[in-house]
Amino acid sequence: MSADEACTSRALLARATAGDAAAFGTLVRMHQRPVYSLALRMLSDRHQAEDLAQEVFLQLYRSLAHLESEDHLSFWLRRVTMHRAIDRLRRERRYAAVPLADAEMASDSADADPILERRLRGLLEELAPAARAVIVLRYQEDLDPVEIGRTLKMSVNTVKSHLKRSLALLRAALAVPGSGAGGGSPTPPRPLPSGHRSLI
Amino acid sequence: MSQDVNRDDNHDVEQRLRAALRPVDPGAGFVGGVMARIAAERPHSARLPRTRAAASWVTFALAASIVLALFVAHQQQARRTQQGLEARRQLIQALRVAGDKLDLASRIVNAQQPPPNSSNSGA
Repeated sequence: MSADEACTSRALLARATAGDAAAFGTLVRMHQRPVYSLALRMLSDRHQAEDLAQEVFLQLYRSLAHLESEDHLSFWLRRVTMHRAIDRLRRERRYAAVPLADAEMASDSADADPILERRLRGLLEELAPAARAVIVLRYQEDLDPVEIGRTLKMSVNTVKSHLKRSLALLRAALAVPGSGAGGGSPTPPRPLPSGHRSLI
Repeated sequence: MSQDVNRDDNHDVEQRLRAALRPVDPGAGFVGGVMARIAAERPHSARLPRTRAAASWVTFALAASIVLALFVAHQQQARRTQQGLEARRQLIQALRVAGDKLDLASRIVNAQQPPPNSSNSGA
């Protein structure tokens, strides 16, 4: 974020805290993408993800007075989204969710492999909520283990352990050959070993 | 050698995860939905202070009643203690008066009786 953007965000936050609805709307527009994406990758359901993301912004609206800075806001949004998503998954005990619609799979990258990406997301849905949250924060938000630990209230060692085990499981399930090819096969993904599903 | 292969595989999976987890935008009406939910909540928020005020009044009234009841009970207890002390004081006074009178009567009776050895003293 540039200095100008940070300044604008700070001003928006101040105005929204003072009760300016338009400023709050702009804040929502600025942060909707990461919040919705986190919810979507955790819940694997577009409608549930939108509902959860809206709840997060509703909670933000009530908590504006407690937020001190733009960084604090981003951290707060990530933390609340992940905790709400984990709570919802645990409540519903729904690790393997309804697959996303094909439109959701559409990739904006020319060299993307949509089938492989779908397989990966399918495998991700089989991970336990906490392990899934670690992977999503690491590879979607690009957070380091310390930041992930702060967001999820986990020790850094636990985060690293989740990352290591989940990567090993995903790698094994994908059976990635050493050449790095072979992701485009339309065969269904091999499920994760059942003993590991609820452990990580 | 095998460690190198593992590292390459991990790197490959990480790259693929990054690609698979690219952020996506919500539907076009997302912000409108958030603002509508906030607007729907506002009347509730407006009602909330009144409810809170009513609740705080009830709490205050309950606390005041409890304090008043404790005060009245304490006053009654103090009055009963005072009455008990007064009764004790009066009883002691009465016993003291009765004791004095008995003492006086005893002295009078003793004074009227001749000493037992006075009739035999000249024999």
